[in-house]
Amino acid sequence: MWYHKPVINEELLQSLPNLKIVANSGVGIDHLDLKLLSSYGVKVSNTPFVVSTDTADLGMALMLASSRRLVEGYQMAVSPDTEYFPADWLGAEVSGATLGIVGMGNIGYKVAERAKAFEMKILYHNRNQRNKEEESSVGAIYCKKIDDLLRQSDFVLLSVNLTPQTCRLIGKRELELMKPTATLINISRGLVVDQDALVEALQNRVIKAAALDVTYPEPLPRDHPLLQLRNVVITPHIGSATKKTRRLMMENMTDSIEAGLAGLPVPNEVL
Amino acid sequence: RPTIDRELLESLPNLKVIGNSGVGVDHLDLKMISKFGVKVTNTPRAVADPTADIGMALMLASARRLVEGCQIAVSPETKHFAVDWLGVELTGATLGIIGMGSIGYKVARRATAFDMRILYHNRNRRRKEEEEAVGAHYCEKMEDLLQQSDFVMLVVNLTPETHKLIGKKELELMKPTATLINISRGAVIDQDALVEALQNKVIRAAALDVTYPEPLPRDHPLLKLNNIIITPHIGTATVQALHMMAEEAIANMLAVLNGQPIPSEV
Repeated sequence: MWYHKPVINEELLQSLPNLKIVANSGVGIDHLDLKLLSSYGVKVSNTPFVVSTDTADLGMALMLASSRRLVEGYQMAVSPDTEYFPADWLGAEVSGATLGIVGMGNIGYKVAERAKAFEMKILYHNRNQRNKEEESSVGAIYCKKIDDLLRQSDFVLLSVNLTPQTCRLIGKRELELMKPTATLINISRGLVVDQDALVEALQNRVIKAAALDVTYPEPLPRDHPLLQLRNVVITPHIGSATKKTRRLMMENMTDSIEAGLAGLPVPNEVL
Repeated sequence: RPTIDRELLESLPNLKVIGNSGVGVDHLDLKMISKFGVKVTNTPRAVADPTADIGMALMLASARRLVEGCQIAVSPETKHFAVDWLGVELTGATLGIIGMGSIGYKVARRATAFDMRILYHNRNRRRKEEEEAVGAHYCEKMEDLLQQSDFVMLVVNLTPETHKLIGKKELELMKPTATLINISRGAVIDQDALVEALQNKVIRAAALDVTYPEPLPRDHPLLKLNNIIITPHIGTATVQALHMMAEEAIANMLAVLNGQPIPSEV
């Protein structure tokens, strides 16, 4: 299934008594009721590893675009009203800044690998601490308390999965702990952020900016305040949107489906 | 600014040094300035990181169609996000860096972390250790680099030799799926040839922080293309870089005035 369609509910499952497996595109399965599917004896698979590098790349792209005001700059470069480029038009540097990664799974770790090459100082918060070799390989410092990460970071990047524990992980309190010069980057799920609190924080300059590949819902209603703010960059959930990765995702999904139908162990089964 | 011409130099007989902010000095007539006994300095250290960052930002934004994506995300017409809307991958792709000075080398270091294959072309080959540190392969012939690269990034300085370095012939050597990124000077590219190449899909896309002139005339064809990103020469436009350029320029100028060794004389 792609983009949460079709909606898997009781009605659908009852109408498909021979359904053996639901193969989900992408790694996130927060939109699936796993208990319900399990009660119908239906297996679930996802595509966890193939999306990691593209999603990490997009996280970096958003951080750079936001920090260097790329979209605004482009608009200035092409605007019919532009007569000259002002000398005092400035962004903020990514190189050497502090990046706080919330969620250090596959994707978070790949972000760290990339950020290290920009000589960024890397902090991370995760359910579990990574081992010493993994940490020192990317120069990442563990923050057991998310507050410590929020206070020190110039960029806060969210790469957790969406669970009851991470829903609204970043709310008014967390945004107020962040530096007023900080940028929030979200490549996880829209619901990890309390969107109303984010709007307020951005309007009142509690934080400097946000760059979001994900929102809730997608797309946002056309009159949503996030769409009017100048210090927000939003992309239409394109974390895995490249030709190569989509092909790999499809291959993963067909492998899982074939195994599921043959009664064999399912690769990438979600348990 | 100000424009350094004969008139200005004649009106400033005690001028000892011109401290340029930024590294490019293609806008200065070095021969003429030298005749007046005036030294010229630039700020190579301050510009390297932010310029390399913008090169990466442009490459990522172009490959992942970030600007287009933003427009879709906020457009009043958008009702849903299309599933078949795709960009191209950086991971495993080949980046060809033309000009492997300080800035080019920092680009290589960043790009390597994205698992890119790195080719480079330069007047002189870098030392083995330097190449190995960033996994860069030397292409003695620029043609080889152009034929193999998915992304071509221009990081040379502007000199008579690099003027229109990339023209029709070079663009045709590039892959039709390739992207051209320019963070050097607009005049390094034959802009008319670039317009044609982009219109006819001879290459996939371009991302330019520099053009000639800046800004482009508002009716320039480059502004109408949808496979191009242009930024307003913001390679060093960060608060930190501005400070560092000022500090570097002042240090240079004081060194000249005090008769001390000059950190970055041109």
